[in-house]
Amino acid sequence: MAELTPEMTTEIDETPAHSHEGTGVDNRKLGMWVFLSSEFLFFGALITNYLLFKNRPGFPPPYPKELYDIPFTSVSSFVLLMSSLTMVLGHTALERDDQQGVRTWLAATALLGATFLGGQFFEFSEFIAEGLTLSTNPAASSFYLLTGFHGIHVAIGVLMLLSLFGISMRYERLSEHRGLNVELVGLYWHFVDIIWIVIFTLVYLIP
Amino acid sequence: MTDSDTRAHTYPTPKLYVRIAILLATMTAVEVGLYYLEPVVGGLVIPFLLVLSALKFLIVIGYYMHLRFEPATLSRFFAFGFVLAITLYAVVLAVFGILAVVIG
Repeated sequence: MAELTPEMTTEIDETPAHSHEGTGVDNRKLGMWVFLSSEFLFFGALITNYLLFKNRPGFPPPYPKELYDIPFTSVSSFVLLMSSLTMVLGHTALERDDQQGVRTWLAATALLGATFLGGQFFEFSEFIAEGLTLSTNPAASSFYLLTGFHGIHVAIGVLMLLSLFGISMRYERLSEHRGLNVELVGLYWHFVDIIWIVIFTLVYLIP
Repeated sequence: MTDSDTRAHTYPTPKLYVRIAILLATMTAVEVGLYYLEPVVGGLVIPFLLVLSALKFLIVIGYYMHLRFEPATLSRFFAFGFVLAITLYAVVLAVFGILAVVIG
């Protein structure tokens, strides 16, 4: 198979192939919003599951709420919030066609996402050391299920960011017109952030 | 004019994005402060936390996800899933009597 040169990629990228006259919205963007909308049901189920079990008595301790390190989790939340800022600044840089700026902000977002994941790994390690494993009690199971699935979403987001960074390095420029683009990945990333906003309040802060 | 050109004129500026980030960080700090004030303030903390969380949620969706600046079609799709999820799980929680405990 012939390899695409950057010149060929530029020619392809300029074709706006996904516009939709009926809705006035890019089909890929519409698809992403529908997907994110469906994700509410997914995370809603996990959050509800946790709320149902978090205080249910009659199971061996410890319960997750007894082990929360709120200052630590607050810093993790702050890191994820700031990654939304770097993500949106990356998108703004792309609108100015500042390709170096896009790379910088994408890398910063991926780094902040990886930091959040590192924090989650540390938190899980601490909890397991304290005796809170996946099978300790239903509260523990539902806690790990919820925060673990959120962590998997963050990890997928980091992979998408790194993919964009790699594409940007390989072809020297990113385009909004074709394939995986900064705006779609940004939507996904911000969604992961808003889900954490809800988890942080409902799971960690509300007694 | 391309789609990208149009958006460049309607989306917020980087300066506004930074201000929003400062606001979100401040709201998070207030949330954490409320958590520690719970023994003093009591059950009032819960509605405050829920309101702050909802505001942060709406700010990120509206500005960072640009929903404020997009066609209404996207808002409808997004709202449909959100309202459906909230309704469905509120019913589930109400059935199990947990909702009353969460709201206080």
